[in-house]
Amino acid sequence: MAVCIAVIAKENYPLYIRSVPTQNELKFHYTVHTSLDVVEEKISAVGKSLGDQRELYLGLLYPTEDYKVYGYVTNSKVKFVIVVDSSNTSLRDNEIRSMFRKLHNSFTDVMCNPFHNPGDQIQSKAFDGIVSGMMVQTG
Amino acid sequence: MSVPDYLQCAEDHQTVLVVVQPVGIVPEDQFFKIYKRIASVSQVSIRDSQRLLYIRYRHHYLPENNEWGDFQTHRKVVGLISITTCGPAKEWPQTAERFHGQKEVYSSTLYDSRLLVFGLQGEIAEQQRTDVAFYPSFEDCSDVEKRVEDFVESIFIVLESKRLDRATDKSGDKIPLLCVPFEKKDFVGLDTDSRHYKKRCQGRMRKHVGDLCLQAGMLQDALVHYHMAVELLRGVNDFLWLGAALEGLCSASVIFHYPGGTAGKTAGRKPSISQPADAGKRHRPGEHMILGALTANGISADTSTEIGRAKNCLSPEDIIEKYKEAISYYGKYKNAGVIELEACVKAVRVLAIQKRAREASEFLQNAVYINLGQLSEEEKIQRYSILSELYELIGFHRKSAFFKRVAAMQCVAPTIPEPGWRACYKLLLETLPGYSLSLDPKDFSKGTHRGWAAVQMRLLHELVYASRRMGNPGLSVRHLSFLLQTMLDFLSDQEKKEVTQSLENYTSKCPGGMEVITLPDGLKLPPVPFTKLPIVRSVKLLNLPVSLRPHKVKGLLGQNMSTASPFIYSPIIMHNRGEERCKKIDFQWVQGDVCEVQLMVYNPMPYELRVENMGLLTSGVEFESLPAALSLPAESGLYPVTLVGVPRTAGNITVNGYHTSVFGVTSDCLLEGLAGVKSSGCLVEVIPSLPRLQLSTSLPRSEHHLMKELSSTVSVQLFNGETQQLTITLENIGSEQIETLELTSKIVNTKEKVFGEFLSWELEEASSHLPLKPGQAVTLAVSIKVKLDFSGQESLLQDLNDDGISVTGLPISSPLRQVLKPRSETKPVSSESGKAEYSHVKTLEAVLNFKYSGGPGKVEGYYRELSLGVHVDVEPSVFFTRVSTLPATSTRQCHLLLDIFNPTEHELTVSAKNNQDLVLHASECQRMAIQVDKFDFESLPQPDQETARFTNPKQLEEERQHAQGCQINSKLGICWSIISFQCACCSVTMK
Repeated sequence: MAVCIAVIAKENYPLYIRSVPTQNELKFHYTVHTSLDVVEEKISAVGKSLGDQRELYLGLLYPTEDYKVYGYVTNSKVKFVIVVDSSNTSLRDNEIRSMFRKLHNSFTDVMCNPFHNPGDQIQSKAFDGIVSGMMVQTG
Repeated sequence: MSVPDYLQCAEDHQTVLVVVQPVGIVPEDQFFKIYKRIASVSQVSIRDSQRLLYIRYRHHYLPENNEWGDFQTHRKVVGLISITTCGPAKEWPQTAERFHGQKEVYSSTLYDSRLLVFGLQGEIAEQQRTDVAFYPSFEDCSDVEKRVEDFVESIFIVLESKRLDRATDKSGDKIPLLCVPFEKKDFVGLDTDSRHYKKRCQGRMRKHVGDLCLQAGMLQDALVHYHMAVELLRGVNDFLWLGAALEGLCSASVIFHYPGGTAGKTAGRKPSISQPADAGKRHRPGEHMILGALTANGISADTSTEIGRAKNCLSPEDIIEKYKEAISYYGKYKNAGVIELEACVKAVRVLAIQKRAREASEFLQNAVYINLGQLSEEEKIQRYSILSELYELIGFHRKSAFFKRVAAMQCVAPTIPEPGWRACYKLLLETLPGYSLSLDPKDFSKGTHRGWAAVQMRLLHELVYASRRMGNPGLSVRHLSFLLQTMLDFLSDQEKKEVTQSLENYTSKCPGGMEVITLPDGLKLPPVPFTKLPIVRSVKLLNLPVSLRPHKVKGLLGQNMSTASPFIYSPIIMHNRGEERCKKIDFQWVQGDVCEVQLMVYNPMPYELRVENMGLLTSGVEFESLPAALSLPAESGLYPVTLVGVPRTAGNITVNGYHTSVFGVTSDCLLEGLAGVKSSGCLVEVIPSLPRLQLSTSLPRSEHHLMKELSSTVSVQLFNGETQQLTITLENIGSEQIETLELTSKIVNTKEKVFGEFLSWELEEASSHLPLKPGQAVTLAVSIKVKLDFSGQESLLQDLNDDGISVTGLPISSPLRQVLKPRSETKPVSSESGKAEYSHVKTLEAVLNFKYSGGPGKVEGYYRELSLGVHVDVEPSVFFTRVSTLPATSTRQCHLLLDIFNPTEHELTVSAKNNQDLVLHASECQRMAIQVDKFDFESLPQPDQETARFTNPKQLEEERQHAQGCQINSKLGICWSIISFQCACCSVTMK
C-alpha cells in the first residue's frame, strides 16, 4: 500500500529511501524532499506551543494528485515519511499510525546495533524486511 | 481574461490603474526612464482631504483584462499617459491622432488621459493644453512628476464623483446590473423585474461602491459596503460576485491590518506618509472599542453610522477564512480561473506576513491545480516561477526549488521552437540552495557527502546539459567535473562510465582548468580539483639515494639540534596532524638534484584511469616539476606513484599538493584540502648544490649487497695470499667542481683475522687532479691483498689423513698455515669441486668510502659520501701440513722440512729462497726442505713500555707472534704460483 518509505536524518538528508520499483524512483525523491518543508514547518509550530509533549505523528503532510504524504518525527528529529497512493481510500489514519510505529520500532533496533554508525545509510536487512512488508501488504 | 497578474497583492485593490504607453517610436531606454519617473508618483495626497490615492502603473495591459473592471475596479484602466517623440511640427497631427487611437482602446473605462510630447518645439509647443505636455527633450522635463500629480488629482475628482454618484443611488431606483464579460449572454431575457434580480443588482452595485470607496481612500466606508454586498449576494446565491465581495472585504482588512503592505517589495508604498493620514481617519482612539459589535444582520443601509468602525474589519484569522470562502466560490466558475489564482496569490502573501506557512502552502497547492485553459509556454514558466517565489516567501525552500526547476524545464520544453537554455540555466542555478547544493567542492570535502544525492545528481546533470546547449562548454566541463568529484560515491559503474565519457567529449573542445568561472550575473564557480581521481592515501617525501645524500660536516655548529623539547626523550607525542604536516623532515634535498615524492594512490573507477601530467605543487623554492603520466588499472589497490622534480634554488621547500590532468581536466589538488591523507611532513630543506661523483671499477659488479646503503659492490674471488689490483675511475657527473676527496675503508662483518693491509691505495695521485671539473674523471688504484688464516679446518686435515699421509713427528701445536694464490677468473671447475671444497671458501668484505664535496654546498658545510663495497671470496691455496726441522751441515743453519699440500685443482709451484721450485699437482702433498739460517726470536724488538701498559696480555702475545711470523717470512720468502694463471705473487705466513 505504501509506495515509498523514507527515513530522513535530523540534518535532513536521507538515511533510507525505498519506493516501489515499478515507478520512477526520482519522482519519489522529489516528493519526499519537498515534503520536508511541511515537516519542518509542523515541527517548528509544535515546538513553540507544546514543548516536549508533542505527538510524534504529524499526519497528512500534503496531498498531491496521485499520492498522500504522511510524516512522523521522532524525538531525536529523525523523520519518517510514508507516501501512499491517493486511490487507496480504505486506508485509515490509525493504520498509518501503526505503520509509523512499526517503522519507528524497527528503526530503534537499527540504532541499537553497535556496528551501525548513526548518520550512515541504513543497510539493515531486518529494517528492509519491515519496509518491504509495508509496501507489499495490500498493494 | 486569461493572463493572471501574479504580482498582485491585496493592497492593489485600493489602487487606481494607470497605463503608461509609448506612442509612435520612442527609444526603449528613454521610455523606461520616463516611466520610472512617472511610477515614482505612486501615492498622492489629495488636497482638502486627508485621503491618499494610490496609483498602479502598467506599461502593458490587456484590454481584455480591462473588461473585468466592473468586477473589481482596480482592474479598470482609469488613466492613460502616453509618451511620444515628435520632431517637426508637421508630424504633430499624426501623433495626436495616434494618441486618440490609443485612448479609444480603453475608452470605456478611462477617466482622464495625458500625452507627454518630447522634442517638439515651436508654435504648437507653446499652446497651453491640459491633456498635452510638451518637453524639449527627455533630459529637460523637470516637472513630469508635478504633471502626473495633477493628473492623478483629476482622476481622483472623477473617481470621487463616481463614488458619490453610486453611493447615493437609492435601492429602489433602476440599478444597472454589473456583470463580467462571460456572464453577459447568461442574462439575456432574464426577468429584470423580479426581486431576485433586483437584489442581485443591488448587491453587485454595493460591491462596486465598496471598490470605489477603497480606491478613494475611504477604507471604513468600503468595509461597510462590502459587508452589505456580502449579505445581499449571499441571499441570491450570486457566488462569483459574493466571492468578489468577500475578497474586497479581505483586501480592505488586510490594508487596515498591514499598512506596510503584503507584497514585501512594493516600493511605492510609503508607510511613513500613509500612517498619519490613516491614523487621522481610521483610529480615533478607542472609538472602535465603544461602537457595538457588528453582526451580519446589523448592517444598515446607512453607511454614515458605520464609518470609522474598526469592528467592521476582519480579524487576521477571519481574513484567511474569507479568502478561502471567496476562492471556493471563484472555483465554481471555469472562466474565473485567473481571479481565483490571483486571490490565492494574494492570500498567500497575507499568510506569509502572518507567518502561517502551512496554510499558505495549502493555498498554493490549490493554485497549482487551477486550470487556466491553454497556457502559452511563457505563461507556464511565469506561473511556475511565481509559485516558486511564493513558496520561498513562506519558507518552503525545497518546494520552491522544485517549482523553479519545473519552470526551468519548461523553458526548454520540446514544444518551444526556440528553447531558452540561458533562462533554463539561470533558473536551475537558483534552485541550488533549495537542494542544499553549493557549487564549491570545498563544502563536500569534509567527510562523507550527506544530502539528497539522487535529486542533486539530477540537477547537476541538467546544469551540464543546459550549459552545453547554451554553448558554453567551459561551464559544462565545470559542472560535470563537479558532478564526478562530489557524487562519485553515488554513481553506479555505468553512470561513471557515461559521465567520464561525456566529460572527455567536452574537454576535447574545451579543456577544464583551475580558473574560477564567473557567470554574467556574478556567480562564481570555483574550480573543481579531482582529488578523487585518483584518490591519494599517503604522501611521503623520499630521501635522496644514499650516495647522493648530503652530510653535514660535524663541528660546524649543531644547526640540526632539535629545540622542540628540553627532554632527550619524552613518551608524550603530539598527535596533531596539522602540525605534523608543517613539521620539517630531517633529511635534506640538494639543489639541482632530482628529488622524489611517493604517493600511494588508488583508482576508484571501474576501468583504467589515465592520469596525465601528474606533478608536484610546491612553494618555498624554485622547483622544476617533472610531470609523469600513469595508468591505473580498474579498482586498483594502493598503487605507488613517484613524482619527481628538481629544486632550482636552496631553501625550505613545502610540498603543497599535486596537479593532474584527468579526462582533459587539469586539477591542482592541495593536500590540506584532502581528507584521510597520511603524510609524515611536507617541509624539507634544500641545501645548495653539491657535486656528484660516479664510480666505475675494473672489476665486475656483484650481486652481493653488503649493506643496503652501498651504491655498488664489486666482487672478486682470490686464493689466499693473492693480490689484485682494483682500478676505480671517479667521474664528476654533476655540475659542480669537486674540491675535496677523501677515502677511507672499513672491513665489515668478518670474524676472520686479516693479516696485513686488506685494501691499500695511494690517494696523492688522484688528489693532485683536484679540483675536478664537471665531466672530468680521475683513476685510483686500490690493491686488494688477502691473507687469511685457514688453519684449524678439521675437514681439511681429515682430507689429508685420508690421503694416507701420516702427520707424525712434532705435534703441530700451532695451526697449519696455508698460502693462497689470488686469481681473477672464475674457476672453471668450481661446479665439479663440490660442496666440500666450497665450504673452505672464506669471505672478506670491506667498504671503500669516498667523501667529496665542492661548490656552494661545501661552503655550507655539506659533503657527500660514495661507497663501494668490496666482496672477496677467499679460497685456500697452500697448506703446510707438517713442519719439522733437521740439523744442517752448518751449525748456524738447519733444514726446515715442510709438508706442502695443494688443495686447489691447479698445478702449482712453490719456491723458497735458495731453493728450486717444487711442482705440486692438484691435491698433492710433498715435502720440501729448505736450508735456513737459525735465528733467535729474542732479537726481535720488544714493544715499548708505553703501549704494553695499555694493551692486555693477549694482545701483546698476538703482536709478538705476528712479529715473529714476519721475521720468519722474510727469512724464508716462500712463494707459490699457479702455473696456468702465470701469477707470481708470493707470501707465506707462519707462526
